[in-house]
Amino acid sequence: MEQSNKAHRKTKEKNTAKKKLHSQGHNAKAFAVAAPGKMAKQMQRTGDKNERKLHVPMVDRTPDDDPPPVIVCVVGPPGTGKTTLIKSLVRRLTKSTLTEINGPVTVVSGKHRRLTFLECPADDLNAMIDVAKIADLVLLMIDGNFGFEMETMEFLNLAQHHGMPRVLGVATHLDLFKSQSTLRASKKRLKHRFWTEVYQGAKLFYLSGVINGRYPDREILNLARFISVMKFRPLKWRNEHPYMLADRITDLTHPGLIETQGAQIDRKVALYGYLHGTPLASNPATRVHIAGVGDFPISQVEKLPDPCPTPYFQQKVDEYQRLKMKEESSTSTAATTTRRRKRLNDKDKLIYAPMSDVGGILMDKDAVYIDVGKKNEGPSFVPGEEKGEGEKFVTTLQNVDKTIGENFDNVGLQIFSNSAELHDVEDEQQESSEEDENEDHGRSQMRKPRVYGKSIQEADEDLDNLPSDDEIPQHEEIDFAFGDEENGKFGSESESENELNGQEEGSWERNAAGKLNVNINRKRKWDIGKLIYMENVSAEDCIKRWRNEDVDDEEGGDSDSDDSNEEDFFKKKDENSSKESNPKQTIDLEQFVPYFDTFEKLAAKWSSVDLIKNRFIRSAVERKASSKATDVDHPDSNEDEVFDDFEDLEAENDGELQNNAVDDRDGNESDDSFANFEEEEKKALTVEEERALNAEKKEKYLTQFELEEGENFKEDDPDNEYGTWYELQKAKMAKQLEINNTELDEMTPEQRQRIEGYKAGSYVRIVFEDVPMEFIENFNPKFPIIMGGLLPVELKFGILNARLRRHRWHKKILKTNDPLVLSLGWRRFQTLPIYTTTDSRTRTRMLKYTPEHTYCNASFYGPLCSPSTPFCGVQIVANSDTTGGFRIAATGVIEEIDVSVEIVKKLKLVGYPYKIFKNTAFIKDMFSSAMEVARFEGAQIKTVSGIRGEIKRALSKPEGHYRAAFEDKILMSDIVILRSWYPVEIKKFHNPVTSLLLKEKTEWKGVRLTGQIRAAMNLTTPTNPDSSYKKVERVDRHFHGLKVPKSVRKDLPFGSQIHQMKPQKKQTYMAKRAVVLGGEEKKARAFMQNVLTLSKAKDDKKKSKKADQRKERLKKLAKLEEEKTQKDKEKRKSISHMRGRREVAMTTMKDRAERGNRC
Amino acid sequence: MSNSKSPLRIFEGHQNFRLRIVLATLSGIPIKLEKIRSNDLNPGLKDYEVSFLRLIETVTNGSTIEISYTGTTLIYRPGIIYGGSYTHQCPNSKPVGYFIEPMLYLAPFSKKKFSLLFKGITASHKDAGIDVLKWGMLPVLEKFGVRECALHTLKRGSPPLGGGEVHLVVDSLIAQPITMHELETPIISSIRGVAYSTRVSPSLVNRMIDGAQKVLKDVGCTVNITADVWRGENSGKSPGWGITLLAEMKKNWCLFSECIGDAGDVPEDIGAKAAYHLLEEISRSTAIGRGQLPLAIVFMVIGKEDIGRLRINKNQIDENFIHLLRDIKKIFGTEVYLKPVNDPESDDFIATVKGVGFTNANKKIA
Repeated sequence: MEQSNKAHRKTKEKNTAKKKLHSQGHNAKAFAVAAPGKMAKQMQRTGDKNERKLHVPMVDRTPDDDPPPVIVCVVGPPGTGKTTLIKSLVRRLTKSTLTEINGPVTVVSGKHRRLTFLECPADDLNAMIDVAKIADLVLLMIDGNFGFEMETMEFLNLAQHHGMPRVLGVATHLDLFKSQSTLRASKKRLKHRFWTEVYQGAKLFYLSGVINGRYPDREILNLARFISVMKFRPLKWRNEHPYMLADRITDLTHPGLIETQGAQIDRKVALYGYLHGTPLASNPATRVHIAGVGDFPISQVEKLPDPCPTPYFQQKVDEYQRLKMKEESSTSTAATTTRRRKRLNDKDKLIYAPMSDVGGILMDKDAVYIDVGKKNEGPSFVPGEEKGEGEKFVTTLQNVDKTIGENFDNVGLQIFSNSAELHDVEDEQQESSEEDENEDHGRSQMRKPRVYGKSIQEADEDLDNLPSDDEIPQHEEIDFAFGDEENGKFGSESESENELNGQEEGSWERNAAGKLNVNINRKRKWDIGKLIYMENVSAEDCIKRWRNEDVDDEEGGDSDSDDSNEEDFFKKKDENSSKESNPKQTIDLEQFVPYFDTFEKLAAKWSSVDLIKNRFIRSAVERKASSKATDVDHPDSNEDEVFDDFEDLEAENDGELQNNAVDDRDGNESDDSFANFEEEEKKALTVEEERALNAEKKEKYLTQFELEEGENFKEDDPDNEYGTWYELQKAKMAKQLEINNTELDEMTPEQRQRIEGYKAGSYVRIVFEDVPMEFIENFNPKFPIIMGGLLPVELKFGILNARLRRHRWHKKILKTNDPLVLSLGWRRFQTLPIYTTTDSRTRTRMLKYTPEHTYCNASFYGPLCSPSTPFCGVQIVANSDTTGGFRIAATGVIEEIDVSVEIVKKLKLVGYPYKIFKNTAFIKDMFSSAMEVARFEGAQIKTVSGIRGEIKRALSKPEGHYRAAFEDKILMSDIVILRSWYPVEIKKFHNPVTSLLLKEKTEWKGVRLTGQIRAAMNLTTPTNPDSSYKKVERVDRHFHGLKVPKSVRKDLPFGSQIHQMKPQKKQTYMAKRAVVLGGEEKKARAFMQNVLTLSKAKDDKKKSKKADQRKERLKKLAKLEEEKTQKDKEKRKSISHMRGRREVAMTTMKDRAERGNRC
Repeated sequence: MSNSKSPLRIFEGHQNFRLRIVLATLSGIPIKLEKIRSNDLNPGLKDYEVSFLRLIETVTNGSTIEISYTGTTLIYRPGIIYGGSYTHQCPNSKPVGYFIEPMLYLAPFSKKKFSLLFKGITASHKDAGIDVLKWGMLPVLEKFGVRECALHTLKRGSPPLGGGEVHLVVDSLIAQPITMHELETPIISSIRGVAYSTRVSPSLVNRMIDGAQKVLKDVGCTVNITADVWRGENSGKSPGWGITLLAEMKKNWCLFSECIGDAGDVPEDIGAKAAYHLLEEISRSTAIGRGQLPLAIVFMVIGKEDIGRLRINKNQIDENFIHLLRDIKKIFGTEVYLKPVNDPESDDFIATVKGVGFTNANKKIA
């Protein structure tokens, strides 16, 4: 049967996108831009976005290798769940539960990363300021029910002005919302508010309720993950200063001293912590600032083994130890492959929180303190009655049968396993062990520092340093020599017993080492690098020892021999050195011209310059040419041509053109032309060779990059390999960092420490002397202790000029000379700023108050700081004085530092004229003596009405009065004003906020504000009655109406006619009444009429007479005029006549001349 | 802790007097100089040193100088470098070079631009002449980023009476010197020079040039010595003559030597002497001569917190160098690390310096 198949169905003709694209017969996308406008817009947008991502290139000085822990600060108002968050995070990262958070808690969070959690005290502004300066990451706790509180806002503003750290918002208490919709709405509101404060899109975490005293695990996990991958940008201030967040503090003062001299004596204090920022200089007496305590010189720094190393670091240490073991035993150990781990081992999840007493163990430099629990729990650690394995271990440690010396013996053997002379040392070593009776037995375990790649090398280094000596060295002598050399370790240390132990041990080891190496040292060459800085060896001596001139071996060791002795030794000098007869004279920057041999010697030496021939350009050329190809010979010479790899073709032409006269006389025709030669060679080059050449060229470019680290290296070159300026800068920085690392890696650890200092990431113990006892007595681990390094500028005091603005959320404007607590650099101090403005740059004028909304300048006295450092100011830090308003009063930036500043305030002197002549006036009441007037002679004065004048001279009679001249006549009612400028002194007041010395750390009160003093003393603000604004009472002035004469009025056009009331038609009573005169009045009227008639007649007569006279006069004038015109006419006539005659004469003359010419 | 004065750094003797004052001014650290010529017949500070202190006082603001009654002890508390334009009358015991040289250390780090007019002698046997300063020291400054820096000779004044005038203008105020790396010994591309005379016959100058050229004829690069004859009122009060030679290297480095003639000297000999000194200097130095070394080292020390490198010759490590490094260490706490170069043929060293991260805090921000 035939199989019936389904008939083939043709594929449907679908109009796919691809087909559409090819409808024109070709791929439309391949040949044209579909929407050029859109594309341009897109390109613009990507460009903009990329550009917005860029930051000012800045060198990151944090080491990549083993960076310090990231400081994560948890900040927020009280009761927002800071402690709970830290506990949850610590629990998440280390699986250990902390009962109490005291001080920083360092935990390992990843292979390369450690985190230091720090809880910022909620109610202390000082702590908030300090924390803002050191935090790498801020976890900003926000109560979801309340939103942003004052503390949060204050902290954000503080942080912003100390180089904004990364901020992660954490909103808590979200479980208190009843309905889901309000929760969502408030979340959104919170998020947007947070964005406006931090940046658009900033991450805000939401934590719901607390379960088992912790936040939900899932949410914490997310947060922890977010933190552990976070990246940080270098911040300017922290990139220029070393700093440390102390996680431990010990009082090293000798207990005896406290007992004998009382508890009030200054203490010796050791701070422990990880260093951050730039390396801490290793030279002694570096001054640092401990925030809230003051400036202190460091008396000793010591690098300790890392208490909380990263797994990466531990792995490196393990590898190093394995390598060491292998070297020592030279047996092949089982090669353990280091496998890549995805997650941290439980072993690696370390936690270090000495103040929080994790697991009851506290570690010191040479001791471990174990918390033995409460006293009332019965005796523990009693031998034989141990309660557990741990206690048993401790009790067995307590009765070790070996002495401490034997312990050392082992150490020594470990290091110098092949030494036979080790036993010699025993007597001294025992002596040292006898010295310290208070031996700590538990110590031996902890003292072995697990420092990567250091211990052995350091020991070697110490051996090298030892001065050679024939005899077995005296103990003291060796110590002394060491004291000089280990400057890096800050000299002697012997105060506390614990210290003593360390010192003894160190010197013992060195002693042994010294003895072992006596033979080696004798033959050894002096290392100039060390000789230079050995202060007890004079400079000449240094040079001589280094050049192995005449110092014998015995001499080498006793570096402490006195000068006279040395000079005796140096009498027998060869003539070479005796030429410097008076070394003191030649050793001087004072003499610029260096020492040269005598003329004869030099002439003999330099009869030919072959010695330095290769330093000159032509010889360099010759050398290369001869080495490359001697057989190629070309006739023309171009000695003068600068040889360069890159110019080959031009060189030829130039060479032929140029022919230097100086070199011609040598006449060395044999010199071959490089250009031709090179060209020849080039032809023969194969592709590979050419490639190699290019690679070489590229290499050369790269080295050039390294060498010319100039400011505008390659910036002028438009086609360098770096696309943008930004990339170029980045590349330059990377290159410099690479140079730094390679150079430092070449040094031994000891040298490195001297050159570089203690780098960030190392765990150090820093000892300070003379710290106020209150620091120890009132110590509270809740408040962070921050040590910041200071640059040389920051040690000086002077006047700082800053640009300052009242914070817009602060309620009041600020008053000049009102105390303000500034947080500038590491410091917090109270000072009295003067607010100023510039009058178009001619003078700096004092302002009584800061302007409302704009920047003004402020000048204040305080510790200097480099310009462009930002700062914040607060008026009060004490909690009891806080009113609930926004406390940050001002923000600004330092513009300039100086030791003096000229600020003036306006002073107007007022006087009154008491006698006025034309433009001169006598002024009183401005001055009180002629002397004062003399001081102001020639000064500009002005009246209120604006008439300007000048002080001329003091008047002799009324003391203090003077004569002044004005540009116009002044009025008696004028007030004369002299505007002068009075210098304002800046009060040299600086009061460090020593909040950490207080028992109540939040209650630091400095100088009170003017307002506070007035309020306390119940004083009213003094006011000058003239300055107060009163109600202006102006008297209404009445003016007469405008009267236009009738004659004028009648000529005015209609439109301009002055409106007038119509004359009254109805007669008023006054007009209407009939007046009947009688008696006196009638007589008077009659008399007046007579008089008036008479006077009128007189006037008429006078008038007619005057008219006659005028007529006469006009007649006379007319006559005169006529005469005058007549005269003029005649005159004109005669002149024209004369002119006519002259012209005739001229023409005739011309004619005659022409005729003469023609003839 | 308010206003606690940082402790004085104490130095002994009068050597490196100017350098110590300059370093103290740069770092802002007060210093005390003790035993200044205390065993001398003429104890205490010399007139030129006092003059120098006065100059420092004028170019700085707020510095205090306390000199003991005998003049053997000096306490100097530096203020800030201020700059500005002044005229300094140098005493005839020291040439202007003595005063100009330390100004080169301070000028780029001042608040205002430096414009100083120095009056006095312009040449001497021991101190830097103006040609050396102009052609030899300013290029070193340029290497560290101080570009706009000029020294104008208005008048030359030979010893003993002087009468010269030199104008130092430093216009570029930099925040930090550039970190410098020079690991090679650059090749000398040409030798230039200036032979000058004041109030003497110009033939002397030509004879000097001849003398120098005779010695330098074999070196194998261009030798170009200019005659610079000063006449009239610009030539100072005394007759004098001298020569300054300059070996110009690649990358704008240079080495120099100078000699001045006294009465009775043969001009050819002075020319030859200068040439020999130049050759000697070349043999004893790398990119930087002995005279330039302190300037370069100090600028490297006060640079950024990066590592700068400079190749120096073995012969350059002498007493002066050690004193320089010790003074730097005492004030800045910085050490210079010397390591031999990799090249087995040469016994040069690479001086590695980590800058102290100094910044010019005196300058106002815009």
